[in-house]
Amino acid sequence: MKKAINWKFTIVLLLIGFMIAVQYNTMEHPKERDTRDIWAIRQELAEEKKIHSELLTEIRDLDRTISSYRTLSESSTGQALKDTVDKLHKKAGTTDISGPGFTIEVRPSVESVAYGIPITSISSDLLTRFVNEVNRFKGIHMEVDGKRYTMMSSIRVINGATTVNGLNVSTPPFTIKIISPTMSDSEKLYNYLLASSIHDDFYLDNLVLEIHQPERDITIRGYPDKFKNLYLKELPKGE
Amino acid sequence: MTMWLPLLGLLLGISLGLLTDLQIPQIYSNYLSIAVLAALDTLFGGIRAHLQQIYDDKVFISGFFFNIALAAGLAFLGVHLGVDLYLAAVFAFGVRLFQNIAVIRRILLTKWSDRSKVSETKVQE
Repeated sequence: MKKAINWKFTIVLLLIGFMIAVQYNTMEHPKERDTRDIWAIRQELAEEKKIHSELLTEIRDLDRTISSYRTLSESSTGQALKDTVDKLHKKAGTTDISGPGFTIEVRPSVESVAYGIPITSISSDLLTRFVNEVNRFKGIHMEVDGKRYTMMSSIRVINGATTVNGLNVSTPPFTIKIISPTMSDSEKLYNYLLASSIHDDFYLDNLVLEIHQPERDITIRGYPDKFKNLYLKELPKGE
Repeated sequence: MTMWLPLLGLLLGISLGLLTDLQIPQIYSNYLSIAVLAALDTLFGGIRAHLQQIYDDKVFISGFFFNIALAAGLAFLGVHLGVDLYLAAVFAFGVRLFQNIAVIRRILLTKWSDRSKVSETKVQE
């Protein structure tokens, strides 16, 4: 009799334990359903493919650099290194650069002038939005009101004034210069910006963007300061 | 020694549930939680009955399944009527759970004090 009770108790407890564990599982790790439809998945696939192709391009570039090191004779290794350093400087934006591009003039809107609305400096949010909009395109160089915008640049508000690289952006009108790798890239960006909704965002702040036609030769200044190197260290010679 | 068998069953059930990584849809988790409560209530009721020597197999097993079904049914009805009827089940089972556990505690306490009295009298003898 006693044994029979124990067996039944055991089975009931097993069931209870199982139920508790399942309930615990359900509460702890709610299953996330994949609710993407076919187009969302296709879009993600396209993005991955884009990254794939970018990586391949980069690999090809690096391969070319390696082969150029190999083909150069011993004496001109220095030259090859110098070329690489120059390339890196150019990429980092420390050198003056010229190429196909266009200028954009930021002006107060006609309506705001007519109504006599005081002209204020461009807001940092709007400038950041603009930079993000332009940065959809790869390999571009940008200068905002004479300040070179690089990977290390920051758009901040300091004492109420919007700054790029810590220098004040003057109240409108000021110019923004953008250089693209090729003339056709420049035209593409120009057309994109013409149709972009960024105009509406500027107009809300009583500003208008006047985008000029792409030109063959636009020059922008380099980043004047030295980059701080926090992570890389020089190895002692012979090691 | 025989006390360990049910405990082993509980552990086995928990580990089985955790290892299979079984999950039920979020909308049914309400039913399961109330079923767990009903099962616990029946279990403690069973233990109490056992200690009071009025334990009956049929009552225990039928109570276990019937209470679970009733609780889940009540919750189901509540969902469809728009009244949180499962709260009634939670309340009822919760109160009974506490009562049962209190009775079990009292019985165990009396047993324990009886035993210590017996040992005291033995020492005095």
